[in-house]
Amino acid sequence: MCVNCLSVSRRAMLAGGGALAASLATGTASARIPPASMVPLIGPGYRPTDKDEVGIWKLMDRVEEEVSGSNLLLKDKPTNDYVRELIGRVGGPAAKDMRIYVARIPEFNAVMFPTGFTVIFSGLLLRMRNEAQLAGVIAHESGHFLRKHQIRQWRDMRMKTDIFSILAMGAGVAGGAAGVYTGDLVRLAQLGTILTLLKYSRTLEAEADAMGLKLIAEQGLRPMAMSETWDQLIAEFDASARHRRRRRRERRIGLFETHPLPETRRADLRLSAAEVTVPGRAYDDGRARYLNAITNIRPMLLDDQVKLNDPGASQYIVETLARDGWNGLLRFYEAEIWRLRNRAGDDARAALGYAAAVQYPDAPADAWRWHGIMLQKAGRLPEARQAYTRYLAMAPNAPDAPFIRQQLQQ
Amino acid sequence: MRRLSLLIAVSALSLSACVQTRQFADVEFTPPQGDYKLLVMRPDVSVGSVTTGGMVEPRADWTETARANLIAALKAQQAERGGNVVIMERRDSLPGIEPETVAELERLHYAVGQSIALHRYNGRYLPTKRGKGLDWTLGQDAVRLGQRTGMDYALFLYAEDSFASTGRVALQVLGVAGCFVGFCAPNIGGGGQFAYASLVDLRSGEVVWFNVLQAGTQIAGINMGDIRKPEGAAQMVDRLLDRMKPGRAVRQRLKERR
Repeated sequence: MCVNCLSVSRRAMLAGGGALAASLATGTASARIPPASMVPLIGPGYRPTDKDEVGIWKLMDRVEEEVSGSNLLLKDKPTNDYVRELIGRVGGPAAKDMRIYVARIPEFNAVMFPTGFTVIFSGLLLRMRNEAQLAGVIAHESGHFLRKHQIRQWRDMRMKTDIFSILAMGAGVAGGAAGVYTGDLVRLAQLGTILTLLKYSRTLEAEADAMGLKLIAEQGLRPMAMSETWDQLIAEFDASARHRRRRRRERRIGLFETHPLPETRRADLRLSAAEVTVPGRAYDDGRARYLNAITNIRPMLLDDQVKLNDPGASQYIVETLARDGWNGLLRFYEAEIWRLRNRAGDDARAALGYAAAVQYPDAPADAWRWHGIMLQKAGRLPEARQAYTRYLAMAPNAPDAPFIRQQLQQ
Repeated sequence: MRRLSLLIAVSALSLSACVQTRQFADVEFTPPQGDYKLLVMRPDVSVGSVTTGGMVEPRADWTETARANLIAALKAQQAERGGNVVIMERRDSLPGIEPETVAELERLHYAVGQSIALHRYNGRYLPTKRGKGLDWTLGQDAVRLGQRTGMDYALFLYAEDSFASTGRVALQVLGVAGCFVGFCAPNIGGGGQFAYASLVDLRSGEVVWFNVLQAGTQIAGINMGDIRKPEGAAQMVDRLLDRMKPGRAVRQRLKERR
């Protein structure tokens, strides 16, 4: 990316170099931000008064209208009530002002908008093992709002692009007067400006992590959960890459990232979690509460993930969730992963999975259906009949029910 | 959010543009005249200031003023043509029509508009649409809205305007001054108008007319219009909507008759 930057002529460097030093103050080491230093910058009922912020808020009204009316949003009431209640607990002083929407997008992500509404992706709800982990992500997003990150980033960008433009123009005019070409130098400064912008973005992410950690710890949720989220995510990336026959996931270069590297965040969160933990205080995972809240949508979450056909990641996610105990649902979707990949030998693996799933009392109807199909393929017809009968009993109105009934009669 | 691909599209028209419009119409399109009923979907307006570094900073007060001005200008202009205009200020301002219905139609139109931008303005011409003028439709959803509201046409309107900040203008002055020492940057840009209008025939559901307006200079500080002022808004409405051309087939028949 930066091959050109090295070929700046010495004359050019001398002609305008001094001016650029200012915009190149990137710095490399990004220090961990101690959670104790994070105080919310806004109180309850915050409304902007500065002209730039008012303008951005105004623009966001329409965005929120669009988001809140989107048909991507999950309608499940228990889930929505639950996340609303959760942001109410970990939202700090702005807890009552923030809005939260759950979008059906099978990815690990969440976004906070400048006006205090956040969108969390369904892929996040799939991956979280307990309330503390989910609260950690929501609190991180709250942290962005409480620390006024969007407007601070906007102002940072405005200031730096202003400086860059003035310097670039100044360098050009000075270079013109002195008869040297400063284009290379300007390009170098442009890179420098971009790097400082990214650096600032990473600082804000680190701030949000620290703020979020403080918020969940204050609510008695186990602080180490946030770091564990990153354990899971890093392992999932690796598992996904392994199955796609890449030796390793893409190498990332910290300098060019908007977020700190996952490994950095994990390490910092672990250190910070130790800091915010009050000895003697009981911290809670809230696992039962969490599972109870998402129980209606969990099959859908798993289904969406499995259909991404990313077997490495899907298998990792299923196994991670199964660390809290296998059940029929998880076994069924484990089998689905391999059936959908459909490479040599995958059908046998899937058949084993369906057979395992139906051992659990909570096996979904489809597990019985696929178990039946696999048995039928293997020529074990009496057992297949039993499985199909069970399927029809559980899902008498399934689209393929008449077809299967007809088969059974033969 | 709604402007991105169209902006790219229009920049292909010309770089040194001053005021440009480019319209397409259904081959059988006749500009509405006489006693027609026009429903103006809530106009999407944004006005901002161009920072020294070239970013557009949205300004709430300017946007509000501009929106009010544009609505007033639109009413005045349509009154002249004899049309009855209903302007939606919000999604729920049509009695008896759910805001969701309006939202769905707005989204659909956005997708269709993107397609028009891509295949009519952006150079990705489709062989199947060659010679067909404007051949896009919003389908039965639009027809139903027409039936329920008794409206003949719906107009979708998007407008943005921006103005160079003092810093941007100073930078421009420096760029021009540089010309005397051999470093010339006389057109750094900053500020300008971009707008589009799309007319949907609610009896057929078809997009019958589409127009894109770009007005501005490459010199920061010199504007070709200002929708923050009533006369500027009237000017934009005039540029965007006042010179509707009939469709090709209609024009041909007119010629033959002569």
